[in-house]
Amino acid sequence: MSQNLGRIQRKEMLLAYALLLPSLVFLAAFTYWPIVRSIWFSLNDVLLGDPDIFWLGAENYLRLLNDRLFWKVLGNTAFYTFTSVPLSIAAALLLAVALDSKLRGMAFYRSAFFYPVMIPSVAAGMVWVFLYAPGYGPINEALTGLGLPRLDWLYDSKWALPAIVIMSIWKYSGYFMLILLAALKLVPSDLYEAARLDGVSAFDRLVHITIPMISPTLYFVIIIGTLHSYQIFDYVYVMTQGGPADSTNVLTFYIYQNGFQYQDIGYASALANALLIFVLGLIGLVSLTLGRRVHYLGER
Amino acid sequence: MALDTPLSPEMTAAPPVARRSNWRRALKGQWLHVIMLPLSLLWLCPLIWIAVTSLKTSAEVFDPAAGFFPATPKFSNYPSTLSVAPFGKYLVNSIIVTSSILAGQLVTITLAAYAFARLNFPGKNLLFTLFLLQVMFPIYAIFLTNFVTLREMGLVNTIPAMIVPFVASGYGTFMLRQSFRQVPSELSDAARLDGCNHLEILWHVYLPLVKPTLLAFAIISVVTHWNDYMWPLLVTNSEAIRTLPIGLGLLAKADSGADWPRLMAGTTIVVSPLLILFVIFQRRFIDSFMHTGVK
Amino acid sequence: MKATKLNISRRGLLAGCLATPFVSMMPNVLMPAHAAETVKLQFMYPVGVSGDINTIISGMIDEFNATHDGIVVEAIYAGSYDNTEQKVITSLGVGEPPSLWLPINSSLQTFLGLDALEDITEQAKSDDIYDDFIGGFLGTAISSDRLYGLSFQPSTPVLYYNKDAFAEVGITEAPETWDQLFETAKALTVRDGEALKRWGLIIGGGWHDWMFEGYCRQNGLVPWEADKVLWDRPESVEALAFWKTMVDAGCMAPASTWQGSANDFMAGSTAMLYHSTGSLTNLRTSSPFEVGVAFMPKRKTWGASQGGGPIMIAKKQSDAQKEAAYTFARWMTNTENQAAWSRATGYLAVRKSSWEMPEMQAYLTEVPQAKVAMEQSAYSGAFLQVPAYSKAREVLKSAIDRTLAGEVQAEAALVSATDEVNREIARVLRRQQRG
Repeated sequence: MSQNLGRIQRKEMLLAYALLLPSLVFLAAFTYWPIVRSIWFSLNDVLLGDPDIFWLGAENYLRLLNDRLFWKVLGNTAFYTFTSVPLSIAAALLLAVALDSKLRGMAFYRSAFFYPVMIPSVAAGMVWVFLYAPGYGPINEALTGLGLPRLDWLYDSKWALPAIVIMSIWKYSGYFMLILLAALKLVPSDLYEAARLDGVSAFDRLVHITIPMISPTLYFVIIIGTLHSYQIFDYVYVMTQGGPADSTNVLTFYIYQNGFQYQDIGYASALANALLIFVLGLIGLVSLTLGRRVHYLGER
Repeated sequence: MALDTPLSPEMTAAPPVARRSNWRRALKGQWLHVIMLPLSLLWLCPLIWIAVTSLKTSAEVFDPAAGFFPATPKFSNYPSTLSVAPFGKYLVNSIIVTSSILAGQLVTITLAAYAFARLNFPGKNLLFTLFLLQVMFPIYAIFLTNFVTLREMGLVNTIPAMIVPFVASGYGTFMLRQSFRQVPSELSDAARLDGCNHLEILWHVYLPLVKPTLLAFAIISVVTHWNDYMWPLLVTNSEAIRTLPIGLGLLAKADSGADWPRLMAGTTIVVSPLLILFVIFQRRFIDSFMHTGVK
Repeated sequence: MKATKLNISRRGLLAGCLATPFVSMMPNVLMPAHAAETVKLQFMYPVGVSGDINTIISGMIDEFNATHDGIVVEAIYAGSYDNTEQKVITSLGVGEPPSLWLPINSSLQTFLGLDALEDITEQAKSDDIYDDFIGGFLGTAISSDRLYGLSFQPSTPVLYYNKDAFAEVGITEAPETWDQLFETAKALTVRDGEALKRWGLIIGGGWHDWMFEGYCRQNGLVPWEADKVLWDRPESVEALAFWKTMVDAGCMAPASTWQGSANDFMAGSTAMLYHSTGSLTNLRTSSPFEVGVAFMPKRKTWGASQGGGPIMIAKKQSDAQKEAAYTFARWMTNTENQAAWSRATGYLAVRKSSWEMPEMQAYLTEVPQAKVAMEQSAYSGAFLQVPAYSKAREVLKSAIDRTLAGEVQAEAALVSATDEVNREIARVLRRQQRG
């Protein structure tokens, strides 16, 4: 019996590896190999365009610790992640719940909230440069209309990063909304009926039924949102180039600057590895705190 | 509340109250419109601006006296945008690239996600983390090495150069794994008792149930690669194999301030196929999956 | 020894290399020109002004290919200046650079550091390049008296002004000195209570370091040498302090973006704008008011730095390719083509003879603003041609921004920026010596 079980387990194991193989082949070639190379590069003086490389040891990492701009960039990155991810996921959750029904016009609403995801970042960035224009931009006109003070937005080192955060809520809420909507479709509808019959309020239904039922997806969205917050690169690149006064410079942009603009591949690799450690730490934190509370419908 | 106890049928069948609940639901719908309509219009403002600007003359775009709408819609901005680059060819290439990536990804992520969700094997957690590395590692740090790799494979300046680096997707694997784990194990147990093997269970039981997730992933994958600019710019040289965003780049990356009407016309051209596809698919998304919930 | 037409593989290049000495020993004897092996060239270029440039360049290349037997040029659009430089350097890294490319002139030392450029001094000297090219433009491709490229699309920053806004407040002349600039900017700033309606002046963000170098030159200082930057000099500190004074007076925006500042001007949100001459056509035709163009105001002297770029030729290619590449670069910068290019784009023609053509004279009558940029270029020089220029630019921009935002004093900011950049330049030079 136990021998039999062993054989089944071994069969399952082999099957699992076989199923992972296609992915692993591509990941090995286009993800792991570059990571290995970047670890090697980070220990050397590597210049883009020059085949010669020189051993440096830990020098790139020491440089990083003393790089004033690196710490500022890290702070900007953390600010962006810790504001844009919770805000856009909260917005997405509310939108998804509101739109998970058979109401008239839902198709219109879904498209209205999702379309920003489809706008190419170059174009979206340019449009928001216009929306944020201090002198004539619609956003400042609206603020004036509401009796609020006008802001210089992208021209002001205090407001430039928050401006990009606001824009990213517009751009990405629809994205998270779509994923959460897909998850809501898996929730048995009779659960809601029952709760409604029991007189449970909408808010309680959200907190006690919806959120626990879609917790695996919510967990996924939080992790992916955190990882995707590095996509901010596109907007920094199009809108501000990291300025003014480095206030919108984030790690991915800083890596791009060092590696491609300054050709300093060694230092850029050291930065990339630092980012990887930063992200692994964040993900570890998320999975330790939230991951344990995730409830999978299919598992008990 | 005990959420994982299966609900008994009698709990859902209560006709008189249900009617009241329908009425209340209708009211709730009305109330929702009050919030959703202004909010969605707010969301749509940039799109409206894009569409309107694409029909203006460049002198009208920033003239405060010109009003919101163009005096006469200048439809000639569209042909004039298309003349900047061979957009027809770019469109075909974009379709080839995004659909090939998607096809490859659907195969690799389905297989891998099933293994992570339902099979037990040593090194599972480690391997899963390794899959996620792909999402974590900044793309600009791998550009150089991937360029060198593709060159050694003789693929630089070919269409596959824009496809092969993206065939595996840690992101998609993670997304699908979460959905697979939502599928009650009783279903697969039952199928196994009927003599189905793992692949049959995957195909007949799991995939139909996670269609919403697959569709959501497909939409996101297509959108991402449809709009990718930097990587195609780096690995392609010939006009014959380039994609739409590069055409858009011609209008946006200007020394002199953007060529607004045509940039916006270009944006409309690039986005339209996606928008149309989305409107079609999100209908199916709703109709076919509305409360197919696992019961 | 017949290479097929489609073959641009490495083997093809290698065959080309091997064949070259043989062919050049017996030119046109064994192989008549039309039967000779076709030389294939790749040319990477950015699009700086508008999408139409892509069409214009493609048209020029088609014409070149049609009129030159034995040479086929493939034009490769490579994005912005930055993207182009990165694409070229990436292909240099794998040993397969394009034959020619069109980068920004500041990248000269970067490419020389990679030993990537063909020295074309002798060819140019036996040609009419040194006589007919306008000195300031030619100079942007010269390092230690050697020439490494043919200037193709030079630009400088100029002062754009809104003539309607000037008329409103009764000012008829563009400012000519820093002091006048300050006074004019104050007079043109419009506020409605606290809310700003119109700035007097915006200096195009993202390239404000380029304008700043102009200010240094106007104050009598070229703020860099071959291996160091000199931003800590009093002339430079004074220039930044002047900017800060204008910002504090509320008549100049503390920061902006490149696209945003052009929009601001067109929308009437700023009465004056420092932007590239390359923007002339766009600003002129897209603004709903009359656009004036003037020299950037002077202090001790007029002064500006050159933007735009020369066509450079790769060192690592066969002699036949180098020969063909020079022929192509020469053709792109000949009198007629430069005149046509200048009229179509707003860039400045690099040849004296181009400016003398009747078409150009007619153009100047029609668009007198173009003349201003041309005349200002007499007072201009190369822009920040130091190793690691790209990093130097970012550091300077950050120092300027932080000063204008009130985070640091002008002098402290410039001293520490100079320090940081000079250390970086030294590091890059040390590396080059090792390599």
